Amino acid sequence: MIWPSVPAILGWYASFILLFFFSINSYYLILTIAGFWRTLRVFQEVRRPDQRRLLRSPLTPPVSVLAPAFNEEANVVENVRSLLMLDYPLFEVVLVNDGSRDRTLGRLVDAFDLRRSARSFERALPCKPIRGIYESPTYPNLVVVDKQNGGKADALNAGLNLSLYPLFCAIDADSILEPDALLRLVRPFVDAPGVTIAAGGVVRVANGCDIRGGRVHAVRLPRRPLPLIQIVEYLRAFLFGRMGWSTGNTLLVISGAFGLFEKRAVVLAGGYATDSVGEDMELVVRMHRQRREQRQPYRIGFVPDPICWTEVPVSFRVLRRQRTRWQRGLIDTLVRHRAMIGRPRYGSVGMISLPGFFMFEMLSPLVEFSGYLLLPILWAMGLLNPAVAYTFFLLAIMYTVLVSALAVLLEDIAFRRYASVLDLGRLLVGAVLENFGFRQLTVWWRVRAFWEYLRGDLSWGAMERRGVSATT
Amino acid sequence: MAPVLALEPLRNGVLALAAAVLLLALFLLVQRGLGALARFRTNRREPILTRLVFGALQDSPVNATQFQKLGRRDRKLVRSILLGLALDLRGDSGEAISEIYRQLGFITKDLARLRSWRATTRANAAADLGLVHCSESTPALLHALDDRDMRVRQAAVWAIGQVGRRATLAGLVRLLGDQNLVVAHRAQEVLAERGSEVADAILAYAGNTSSRPGRLAATELIGWLRIGAGAKLLLGFMSDLDPEVRVKSVKAAAAIGDPVFLETFQSRLEDSSWPVRCQAARGLSLFGSPALVPRLSNALRDQQWWVRFYAATALAEVGPAGEAALTGALQDPEPSVREMARYLLERGNAVPALP
Repeated sequence: MIWPSVPAILGWYASFILLFFFSINSYYLILTIAGFWRTLRVFQEVRRPDQRRLLRSPLTPPVSVLAPAFNEEANVVENVRSLLMLDYPLFEVVLVNDGSRDRTLGRLVDAFDLRRSARSFERALPCKPIRGIYESPTYPNLVVVDKQNGGKADALNAGLNLSLYPLFCAIDADSILEPDALLRLVRPFVDAPGVTIAAGGVVRVANGCDIRGGRVHAVRLPRRPLPLIQIVEYLRAFLFGRMGWSTGNTLLVISGAFGLFEKRAVVLAGGYATDSVGEDMELVVRMHRQRREQRQPYRIGFVPDPICWTEVPVSFRVLRRQRTRWQRGLIDTLVRHRAMIGRPRYGSVGMISLPGFFMFEMLSPLVEFSGYLLLPILWAMGLLNPAVAYTFFLLAIMYTVLVSALAVLLEDIAFRRYASVLDLGRLLVGAVLENFGFRQLTVWWRVRAFWEYLRGDLSWGAMERRGVSATT
Repeated sequence: MAPVLALEPLRNGVLALAAAVLLLALFLLVQRGLGALARFRTNRREPILTRLVFGALQDSPVNATQFQKLGRRDRKLVRSILLGLALDLRGDSGEAISEIYRQLGFITKDLARLRSWRATTRANAAADLGLVHCSESTPALLHALDDRDMRVRQAAVWAIGQVGRRATLAGLVRLLGDQNLVVAHRAQEVLAERGSEVADAILAYAGNTSSRPGRLAATELIGWLRIGAGAKLLLGFMSDLDPEVRVKSVKAAAAIGDPVFLETFQSRLEDSSWPVRCQAARGLSLFGSPALVPRLSNALRDQQWWVRFYAATALAEVGPAGEAALTGALQDPEPSVREMARYLLERGNAVPALP
């Protein structure tokens, strides 16, 4: 038997990387275009007056808004006030103080005249012990739950137990919902009650925006490059990417910062997994799995117009924690549900979206990282012309920039959230800058996440917030 | 290696992608420019045209002759102003809007759009006709109820809800069992608003349909519209084998609150389905009769929190006898019973608003 030579093996691997690179960028390109097409279709429906009127129908299902909070004393009062002012017929706000060590609870008690309540609740899901339940005579639709620290998933399970309504909206306590966000997000549930079991809304970057009284008054771009780059990334991956996946009922992620769920479906699925750092994705995949195994009709959708504003990391340290956590959550979910991958029984989820996530989201950092390692090796062995290496690098950048620029363009056509042409120019600059340092760093962090996952690291890492009103 | 990473194709690829990015940037600029121009024109003309529209609305009889000389783009703007106003204005102003809309020929155009090959155009036309309360469009809208595209059927359902008379509204009842859930739900919503005019049609449909979703939707409507004449039908449904039918019928009966249901509510407290038990307890809370206390006290020991919650609520509604039962439950060996009793005694009947 003749063994292939080392240069031949390296050559094949280089071919694989090239193929992978084209595939991953084409995958993003297709998702972006599919997402845009679907967005336009949804907008055509929403603009019709019958939709606008029916959204205010008395039959719109009531919603419990669940907001887990951990050490959020800086913004919690303002954010709860903003939640209480949501434009929605019937809703309650259940804020879960997840064992904060600061004055989160104290500030809420003072601001909303909270009193301890003997409120009974359904123990549908296990959670850490509840230390107290507080209700306000002034705000009858506000409930504050004080519990032992157990993490975000545990806090959401506690909130679910306390919630009274058939739908619940999971949000981050430090996020800002647009006043009509719930009303828009509930649309799939109104259209197909009993079939829609979950729907995600759009999470946008609040850094740099003019925020007063818990409301975004003017959408502006941040001055710093790090959050600017993340805006482009959010547009590409979280807006059009998720919209694209929702086209064939194959959406796997509904952001923990903003998602609406049918309570009974989540309870039947077992609630949020407290032993996962990617509890939002894990829950959605589990719901897909359960429904497909039971052959029950269902829909998990994504709505492009309800907006939730959130602060993104402005320091590399916090960004690293966030990205490694996301990657660990992704690995954990795909490993837990590996039996679904490539199985026709799970339909488009098993045959398209899970393999897509496995290849292009989970493994991509490993492939990309190995590509970065391979280039100097090939060069040192005299197998690669430096000019070819530079050109390949440029090609990779240009394809990524093309996908990002397309996302910016489509955002402008569909939403036009950024008023000035200068802002669009800056977003395009962000799309280019992303490729010089940011991308390589995130690849490295995501590679490290594999190691952390194998070590069994389940930590969240603190997200340091400057407060969304601060200029970033 | 050479065929994989040859310089020339890579270079061509870079150039092609760079050109594509530049084209995108250019397109972005052009579409922004065009958008700004259109906005500039709208901002300039809209106040003038809005004043004209308001002037015409105040004329009696309504006269739209001043609009006849307007150009195509101005007429388009007038149309959007009228539709915007129609969304909020009703009564005489609403009729005046319809009249201007008619005199400008927009209704004829909408009726033509209702025959378009594009489903979106047909759906928008149906919605616009409903918005301006155009009664002469009813036959065309009824025809649109059988459109092959669900978006058109959905818009037509809503439009008929806006313009339909009793006879046409009855035509919506059959759509409660439409194969498309969205259309069926939209019909249910429209009937929830105006269905009392066609209560008999709803009752007949609920009693005769073979469509399970249709029957469930009609049963819900009987409750929402509080159709007392449906009591006999509901009593029959309450012993149906399908638990979903039992839940909806008990819920509807609870909304009607007729004493004829009292006995059935009590027996349904023993139902094998907990949502049925829950709705039965809820129904009993309407009567506030001390005779119900033993049954409700028993329901306080139900395994399901929601049944306990509604049973405790019903006890709180009974008055002194119920409160005494709740106070007694504070000594119950079961912690869940004690917890619920304590909660209700603390809150009285000020329980949170429930759907």
